[in-house]
Amino acid sequence: MSIYRVGIDIGGTFTDFALQINDDIKLHKTLSTPEDRSVAVINGLKHLAEMEGFSLEDFLKKVDAIIHGTTVADNTLIEMNGAVTGLLTTEGFRDELELRRGFKEDIWDVRLKPPIPIIPRRRRLGVPERVTFDGTVHKPLDEEAARKAILRLKKQGVESVAIATLFSYENSAHEKRLSELVRELMPEAHVSVSHEVLPKSPEFERVSTTAVNAYVAPRVTLYLDRLVQRLHENGYQNELLVMQASGGVMTREYLRGSPVRILASGPAGGVVGGANVGVAKGAPNLLCVDMGGTSYDMSIIRNGAAPAQPGWNWHHRYLVSVPMVQVETLGAGGGSICHVNKGVLQVGPQSAGSAPGPICYGNGGNRPTITDAILILGLLSDESDFAGGSFRLSKDGVRKAFEEHIAKPLNCSVEEAAFNCWRVVNANMTQAVRRVTAGKGTDPKDLAMLAYGGNGPVFAAIQAQELGIDRVLVPKTSPTFSAMGALTAAPSIDEERSYIVPAAAVDIEKLKEHWTKLVNRADKFFTEAGFKREQIIIHYSLNLRYPGQNWSLTVDVDTRDITQNLSFIDADFCQFIIRRFEEAHEKEYGHFREGEEPEITGVRMVATADIPKPRFSGGFNVKEVDATPSKYRSANLGEGFGNTPIFHGPTLSPGHRVAGPAIIEETFTTIVVYPGWVAIVDDAGDYQLFNKKNKKLN
Amino acid sequence: MSYEINRRLTTKRQPLPTSAEIDAVTASIINGSFETICFEVAMHLGRAASSAIINQSNERDASIIDAHGRLAGVSVGIPQLLFISPLCVRWGLESFEQDEWGPGDIFVGNDPDHGGGHLPDYTVYGPVFDNDGKLILIQALQAHQGDTGGKDPGGFSVDAKDIFAEGLAIPVLKLVHRGKKRLDTIALLIRNNRLPSFAGDISAMISAVQSGVKSLQLLIDRHSADVVRAAVNFNIQKTEERFRDEVTNWPDGEYRSKVLIDADTVGNPDVEVHMNCIVRGNNLTLDMTGSDARPELMNVWNTFSNTRGYAMAQLASMVSPDILKNEGLFNAVEMVIPEGSILQPPPNKPAALGSFHPAVEVGEAVCIALSEILPERSSPQVYKLGMPNAIIGQDDKGRMWMDQGVDVRASDASATQGIDGWGAMCSGLGNLVLATVEDAESRFPVLNIHREMTTDTGGAGRWRGQPGTLNIKQVLAPVSAMTWMVSQKYPLRGLRGGDDAAPYSNRFNVGTPEEIEIKGSLFAQLPANAITSYQYGGGAGFEDAVLRDPEAVKEDVLDEYVSVHAARRHYGVVLTGSVENVDIEIDWTATNILREKMRAEKGVTA
Repeated sequence: MSIYRVGIDIGGTFTDFALQINDDIKLHKTLSTPEDRSVAVINGLKHLAEMEGFSLEDFLKKVDAIIHGTTVADNTLIEMNGAVTGLLTTEGFRDELELRRGFKEDIWDVRLKPPIPIIPRRRRLGVPERVTFDGTVHKPLDEEAARKAILRLKKQGVESVAIATLFSYENSAHEKRLSELVRELMPEAHVSVSHEVLPKSPEFERVSTTAVNAYVAPRVTLYLDRLVQRLHENGYQNELLVMQASGGVMTREYLRGSPVRILASGPAGGVVGGANVGVAKGAPNLLCVDMGGTSYDMSIIRNGAAPAQPGWNWHHRYLVSVPMVQVETLGAGGGSICHVNKGVLQVGPQSAGSAPGPICYGNGGNRPTITDAILILGLLSDESDFAGGSFRLSKDGVRKAFEEHIAKPLNCSVEEAAFNCWRVVNANMTQAVRRVTAGKGTDPKDLAMLAYGGNGPVFAAIQAQELGIDRVLVPKTSPTFSAMGALTAAPSIDEERSYIVPAAAVDIEKLKEHWTKLVNRADKFFTEAGFKREQIIIHYSLNLRYPGQNWSLTVDVDTRDITQNLSFIDADFCQFIIRRFEEAHEKEYGHFREGEEPEITGVRMVATADIPKPRFSGGFNVKEVDATPSKYRSANLGEGFGNTPIFHGPTLSPGHRVAGPAIIEETFTTIVVYPGWVAIVDDAGDYQLFNKKNKKLN
Repeated sequence: MSYEINRRLTTKRQPLPTSAEIDAVTASIINGSFETICFEVAMHLGRAASSAIINQSNERDASIIDAHGRLAGVSVGIPQLLFISPLCVRWGLESFEQDEWGPGDIFVGNDPDHGGGHLPDYTVYGPVFDNDGKLILIQALQAHQGDTGGKDPGGFSVDAKDIFAEGLAIPVLKLVHRGKKRLDTIALLIRNNRLPSFAGDISAMISAVQSGVKSLQLLIDRHSADVVRAAVNFNIQKTEERFRDEVTNWPDGEYRSKVLIDADTVGNPDVEVHMNCIVRGNNLTLDMTGSDARPELMNVWNTFSNTRGYAMAQLASMVSPDILKNEGLFNAVEMVIPEGSILQPPPNKPAALGSFHPAVEVGEAVCIALSEILPERSSPQVYKLGMPNAIIGQDDKGRMWMDQGVDVRASDASATQGIDGWGAMCSGLGNLVLATVEDAESRFPVLNIHREMTTDTGGAGRWRGQPGTLNIKQVLAPVSAMTWMVSQKYPLRGLRGGDDAAPYSNRFNVGTPEEIEIKGSLFAQLPANAITSYQYGGGAGFEDAVLRDPEAVKEDVLDEYVSVHAARRHYGVVLTGSVENVDIEIDWTATNILREKMRAEKGVTA
């Protein structure tokens, strides 16, 4: 029997679909329906059903899994239209959310405005109670005061309550009781409890994450409930799996307690897909770059995995400390506006977006953008279809705008102006990549690059060259890469519990207890979702640091399936983890401290299950042959204008070889093969670009 | 001797020799690389270091200095301190021949009398040579060390009589020679430091600088030394031009201010910082003549390098934030810093605490003086606390521990035109990461009881200051506690008619017969279970409070930033209802009458 799986990613403009039937992948794109996004989901599924010759109902009955990435949580924070939210916390500590541990985004700009409060001070109320670091109750919960505070929230029309008290990860009794009281006095309200959302220290990170969770929860829950209902009405019989920021997927039931985990999950899908592609093509260490209309997203994959890190993750000006695939964003995309400020050429961060968009879209845009610049440079053309044939670019007004806004102030020609924009955006992206790798012990030149998004492949090879990277992958699925990624993402639960203790003094029983609890929790959700126990793999790790350090390193301890016991914890366990930590410290920072004893800060567990994900391939078994250009046009690929061969992507097949300078026009993207580079279509039909001086040509 | 050295170190430096032509785009790209490299260096240290003050408070500042000792680029950090490294490096450059500078070398310096900030601020730096062996750039990294080997742990002594009491002063010392660590000098530094984590910190600083040197070498290989030199010249020139362009738009005149510090550490009162900002065309002079020079003052001697840094950090916040931060700033501003005053002390003065006060008052004085003409960018980039309560104890193995008290708090977050004070501190300190309860209590025998903002402690104003927090803490074991209070008599000043912030206050042994309110400095032994209570000063207000929108005042009252009483008294807004019942409303009739009367009394027009 065939396996049917559907990956769905909802973006601002398009909803993307990737249908997997065994190892075959089919792609589809449909316009998003912002008023009710589930409409586009059903429309797209209907289209897939038709493609396969089924009715929607018959098709959905066959589908083994629908895996879904959504920006509904992000949109709530962008639009600031989440629930009316309140906070109950330990008396004396209600301002943590506002004080942000001192963080401000710009140290030079005294005109930076504060973030819009998701919980204003009047709805942050302290309750007398106190637990200490070892879980001891220092001051019992004052229930009378708690009731009063809850009623004060109720009076303010609060729809969602965050509960976060000090050291609740050690002893959650007070938080539990508070949530009971809220449910009693405000039965309609959504409740987010910090020891469930993020049971770890320190308090600011936990409070902030819980507050954001409370703020987005009602909208996310409503959205997912509605979607599941529609899918079931139309015949789907399995669990809906939802993409998380960690790059894993999990069921709606699991996410009910902490919907904040889907924040920033959109880009995570692409990164996970990238990891799988990279492994298949022998490039387990990757720099993924996704350049769309407004932004340039970067992430690093090491050893075939996209490491998800909990911690100092700021999103939309709020700290969300759940594990997140590290995706950094730079405001540089095709729509980024180019302008001269006091003699300095700048690109972005303002963007013309998709409406009005670049001047060459002909929708009323009148400020020069990157897309306009690369049109002047001939990298794009007004004679070819754009964006899958939906429209053609127009040069009307483009030159005039560059003349006025850039060439004149810089005292150069229009072509030079466009070229300078290309240089600046390249430099910005290169610097941004360097910042992403900063302090992480990664040198970009040891990576391969994977480029996707509409504009990624235009800049990929030149970027790679500047970073010392000599291989670039451009998968044919790149236009719907996040939907593809959803298909490859494993179901996963990635959780951590605080446990701060000198490594040599670790209480083995307590450690076992932490891990056992985490594993039991994962077991419950996986089993409920229909996974077999022997499918579930557990990765055990510990977070450690030297005393005095603020940031911990995650040290892998063991990986085994859930049916096996914790026998890896033996008599030498302490020495073993200290040694592991020292190795990790040496690798990250170039040194470790001989004789100094690290401390454990947290117990971490990642549970995953094997899934029938699509297989990728990446060899070069087909004999290489030079492809034939479909035409020529004048273009500047960094070395001045020259007559440049243009290749029509859909006519290229495995083995085809295109030597730079050249341009390949694909349906949804353009791949620029810069001088010194060669593009080869691999066995899977994906493009691989090599810097010729390093590529051993067969 | 030190005045002469200071004069020499601040002599204007010439552009680098180069035959390359440079365009604006390439220069900007190279500057971007500098900023990225500094960021990488700072991140490297932040993640690898072991002392909380470096990795948690983020007191680490990377900069790139050119072969002539000019500041060429900086990254994230603390603005005041980013401007300090160049003078320290310039002193090192003076002995280029004597110390046999070569590729792979790494140096350290911290001596205030030889270009340094104060002793805890170690600047570690390494030269970058091109393939012809010519010095092109220097990667510098400055970070605050948790101890300096002086008479008191931490390097801050409220009764230090000279620099030698504060610790080891290093004009320049080579730590790495041609890539090989000098174990003799490193051992000397480690031996002169109380904290076991120092060895890790200095290793992390060295490896961070080495990584920066490597990146700069690659940059030079790629663009050529000549082009990099031309870019440095171009960017410095550009910054000077842009700064002067802004000054041209300021009305000519002399803008004066005087800021007072309550007292020095032994109680000599009313320490004065004078500032006269003289604007003439595109020239700006900061004349600090008249600032205190009483020889008997104790521990309020700011080092020369810090005076320049703090003045410039405030100025940099008052011009367009996208002007590149480099030597061009210093080329555009003349500073007159009287020799022998607290802003350029005689040799061998203790320097640690002076880097708090009067250092921040230098910035505050610039802000107050220029607020007359630059309302939109007037926000004092200061921390008005003397010292937090540093708590020192010993664990059961006899090892020292110190809770430095850099706790989450709100203090001195002032308003500026159109924006209320917000967050924990001023923007300039926005890279600091403050310590949490759960981290601190897992490490130290302390119990945090309270740290919420106190209603009415932010200065009232048309735009109000953020209130300060009240941080109450209980020690669970016998400890020593050290503190120094200022801004009690002279709190942070309101601007353009805004009210001052509420003053700082601090009490030890709260709720016992031994309870004391601390004035000035104190080093005390506290028994187990003693409670300390530290009220941080708030941010200051901006423009007269009677001009604030009454609706905004009502919101403030609901949020308990402002009390019903203060709404009436300071803002002239009469409210009905109660905060508990969340039914606060404005009595418009009463408000209009009251405000009219207050405006008339104050002579304020809308």
